[in-house]
Amino acid sequence: MRCEQARQLFDAYLDGELSGALATELGAHRVKCPDCRRALALMEVSGHVIASDREPVALHGDFADRLLACTDSKSLRSRDRLRRGLYIAGLLAAAAVVALAFLGAFDRPAKFAGEKVETARPLAVPSPQEQSPEAGNRGASANEDLLEEWFKETQDNWAAKRQSGESLQRQFELTISQMLDILRQAKDTSPGADHFPGADGEVPASPPEPAPTDDEDVEDL
Amino acid sequence: MARGMVRETAVTPSREYERQLVGRAQADDRLASRELVELHKDRLFSFIWRMVRNHHDAEEICQEAFLKAFASLGTFSSEYRFSTWLFTIGYRVCLNHLRRKRALTGELDFTALPHDGDSALPGSVESEEAGRLKELVWSAVDRLSAPQRATLVLFYRHELSCHEMAQVLELPVATVKSHLHRARNRLRELLESVTEHELQEFRNRAGAAG
Ligand SMILES: [Zn+2]
Repeated sequence: MRCEQARQLFDAYLDGELSGALATELGAHRVKCPDCRRALALMEVSGHVIASDREPVALHGDFADRLLACTDSKSLRSRDRLRRGLYIAGLLAAAAVVALAFLGAFDRPAKFAGEKVETARPLAVPSPQEQSPEAGNRGASANEDLLEEWFKETQDNWAAKRQSGESLQRQFELTISQMLDILRQAKDTSPGADHFPGADGEVPASPPEPAPTDDEDVEDL
Repeated sequence: MARGMVRETAVTPSREYERQLVGRAQADDRLASRELVELHKDRLFSFIWRMVRNHHDAEEICQEAFLKAFASLGTFSSEYRFSTWLFTIGYRVCLNHLRRKRALTGELDFTALPHDGDSALPGSVESEEAGRLKELVWSAVDRLSAPQRATLVLFYRHELSCHEMAQVLELPVATVKSHLHRARNRLRELLESVTEHELQEFRNRAGAAG
């Protein structure tokens, strides 16, 4: 057996997979050839050190306690979040009710027309000409026209607002029911499962699929 | 043959018992979770520490691996050993850690870092030759690529088969064998300075101890 052939058998020999005639031949070559003898000895010794050298470091004694406390606090936080979510949902529901009540109050602007006109005054800012004493009457009637216009506009506005308020209400109801569904689902799933945004990508689904040979990427790590 | 000479303290549970444990842990049984941690933590830490060579980082990676494993226990299939699955997660976290570290420091040269726990163990009785040889071997291991280091440690220290290593490293078996082959050859090159006397001395002592 030549060195070249012998070297091709090193791995099988070191893996304990070489037997029979080939093992005998390699053994014979090893005795005769100092290079192959040394190469095999170095690899055997390395394997022995890696296998049996005592580890100079160890985990801290309380590792398991800390780890389990960590999973506990995670599920605790998840429960907290659920509680907070329900609280927010309640607040939103209350806000929706208040908003609807508020929109309802402005359902009848005509009834309070007088007051509306009063409060509306600052909005209808008279032009400088209209403020001059000569144009007093003309200005007054122009003001009345403006107010009339504003009042009509306001009525239309509120009608539109009431409509959008109704669709807002529908949206609110929808959102709240969706949220309650989500919260109900969250409650059903195991606590803590949502704490690892990267987990899907990083935890192998078992059985782990062998990845394609792209080891060049990690080769020089 | 060096392989198989080290025995981990934790006894590998039977497949059936492991399946039960995982099932109970899935149902949020704290005792079962604790037992899974106790059974696997030292082996996982040992592997991770050999990969990152820093106690603090290794402990953090170990914790992250367990937390990820527990968080996705639902996807674990009992066809596989829990330890293999856990090591797969641990190796992935290691690689991410090493990538981040390399991105920060530009390169990863373990031999330039101060190592925790590299000094001879107190009370260990070994010749100067054996001590130097061990030091040379480990510093050579540190100079290998991550997959090469992982294959050596998993094969010799954790006694994984090439098939199991392929699962942990998520690589085809042929690639794993090639990593192991290149790792051995690289070690041989890096250990050029080892003298015949040191080799002989070490083998005599190892032979006497084993
Ligand atoms: Zn030869």
